[in-house]
Amino acid sequence: MTAVEVENLSMSYKAPVRKGGLRAALGSLVKREYKTVQALDQVSFTIAPGQVSGFIGPNGAGKTTTMKILSGILHPTGGDVRVLDSTPWQRRSAFLKRIAFVRGSQPVGGSQELTVMDSLEYQRLLYDVPRPTFRRTLTDLEALLDLEPLLERQLRALSLGERMRVGLAMALIYRPEVLFLDEPTIGLDVSAASQIREFVSEYVEQTGATVLLTSHYMADVASLCPRLILIDHGKVQYDGPLAELSARLSPYKLIRISTQGDPTAFGEVVEKADGQWVLRVPRDEVAATTGRLLQAMEVVDLAVEEPPLEKVIDQAYREGLR
Amino acid sequence: MRTAVLLGFRLRQEVLEWSGAWWFLLTLVVQAVVAPLIGLFVWSAVYPDDPSIARYYVAVILVTLMTESFEQHTFSERIYDGTLSHELLRPQPVVIGVIGMNLAIRAWLTLLGAPIVLLTGIALQVGFDWTAVLRSTPYVMLAAILVFLWTFLLALTAFWTDRVHAVVGFGSQLTFLLGGTAAPIALLPDTWRRVAEVLPFYGMNGLPAEIAAGKGSGSMGYQLIWVVVLVVVVTVVWRIGVRRYTAVGS
Repeated sequence: MTAVEVENLSMSYKAPVRKGGLRAALGSLVKREYKTVQALDQVSFTIAPGQVSGFIGPNGAGKTTTMKILSGILHPTGGDVRVLDSTPWQRRSAFLKRIAFVRGSQPVGGSQELTVMDSLEYQRLLYDVPRPTFRRTLTDLEALLDLEPLLERQLRALSLGERMRVGLAMALIYRPEVLFLDEPTIGLDVSAASQIREFVSEYVEQTGATVLLTSHYMADVASLCPRLILIDHGKVQYDGPLAELSARLSPYKLIRISTQGDPTAFGEVVEKADGQWVLRVPRDEVAATTGRLLQAMEVVDLAVEEPPLEKVIDQAYREGLR
Repeated sequence: MRTAVLLGFRLRQEVLEWSGAWWFLLTLVVQAVVAPLIGLFVWSAVYPDDPSIARYYVAVILVTLMTESFEQHTFSERIYDGTLSHELLRPQPVVIGVIGMNLAIRAWLTLLGAPIVLLTGIALQVGFDWTAVLRSTPYVMLAAILVFLWTFLLALTAFWTDRVHAVVGFGSQLTFLLGGTAAPIALLPDTWRRVAEVLPFYGMNGLPAEIAAGKGSGSMGYQLIWVVVLVVVVTVVWRIGVRRYTAVGS
């Protein structure tokens, strides 16, 4: 049983191209030339019900295109997709009532003059939510998203963080089983982003929803997604646990120590300040190096850390996966 | 039933939405009444002793206000800015939103334009036979449907071109010339009059205005035929357009 099933998914566009200059411009009136852009190339993965998966990749990797196909906005040029046993791009009502696609760049659609409560009421009608269920869900969402002060406000007067909270409330008022979140924390400050993360985590815990999340913020991915799908140039480059990706990309760990001595002989020094040292040590030598360090030096404090996720992902984007 | 409830709710939403833009709606009213007013002044000067000319043009102003459509500004923009995707993911036909907004704008235009119609009527001492006005109701409704379908059809070209305003502008010029606003089609040369009667534009403006002014006894036949034809064409073009939109994205 899978909630999302993607098999050999491909998407290509024909983009018009021409050389610069008047001659080429006139020529293109008679004969237009196109270049095929391969946005997705044989992408395959499955997501089990209730699983939260992070979908990451550099700009232009194909993340949003995949999200649009899975939600039903785009029709792929090849491959097969099943979401909750439906073909998304047929956009059947029964299917649309079971999914939600929330975009951080456009969290709230529809009339901007309406109040938040009016918009939620419209969602109730649209998604045939029975009134008692609506009231119950709204109470839950009010608590989780701190919605109460926003209910009587007009959509157009909301700040970015408030719009995202309202966008999530509008998407979740009908309790979708599959949630596609495209950059839900984009542009938000640290507190607002953290609030959204906590909310998604609690919503998943309460409802058992399946979530596919794209984000450029590693804090989102690290805190919400036990599984990571890394896509680049339209192809899946990695699919597995986050820790495994880190181990695969970075064969080193960091040993952070506080000492008055000089530990340079024990590993490559990455940082040094006021008696604080950060050493880079091969993963399989961490235990032995730590032991030797403690024996040889007077260590005030010691911690072994994974390399920062941002750096690992940046390395994956720049150099690809080995 | 569900569709009617959704449409009603959407209409209410849109009326509220547009209530904040009354000044913009006023400019739309002015744009809508200028062409019939020019026709009124020109043809009243040509036929100063014919009171039916003023009556006809006052009716044209009212019909124009009640049937104006702006899908090139509303729906087409959704294609251009990608927010059509929001609509596609809603479990309802996209056209419900388009119709809701269309009806809301028309309601506002009629309300804001009513004083202009009233003042023009009083100034020109225009009197209406209210049974003729009542008889014109179904003609006006069909005109409203025709104008919507025609404008929506042209607005759908936004799926292929970013010059939708030029396309719709061309369509509006045809309506102005052949619909009875530039000149009552009874005053056109015989051949042009016959052509104009058959085309859909006369049913959008001139015919309901003539009935309301008590001037004609035209039938709704051509209006009904064009409604059917345009519904079919709009449906086909919509399907092809959405297929294109979902193939290349926003």
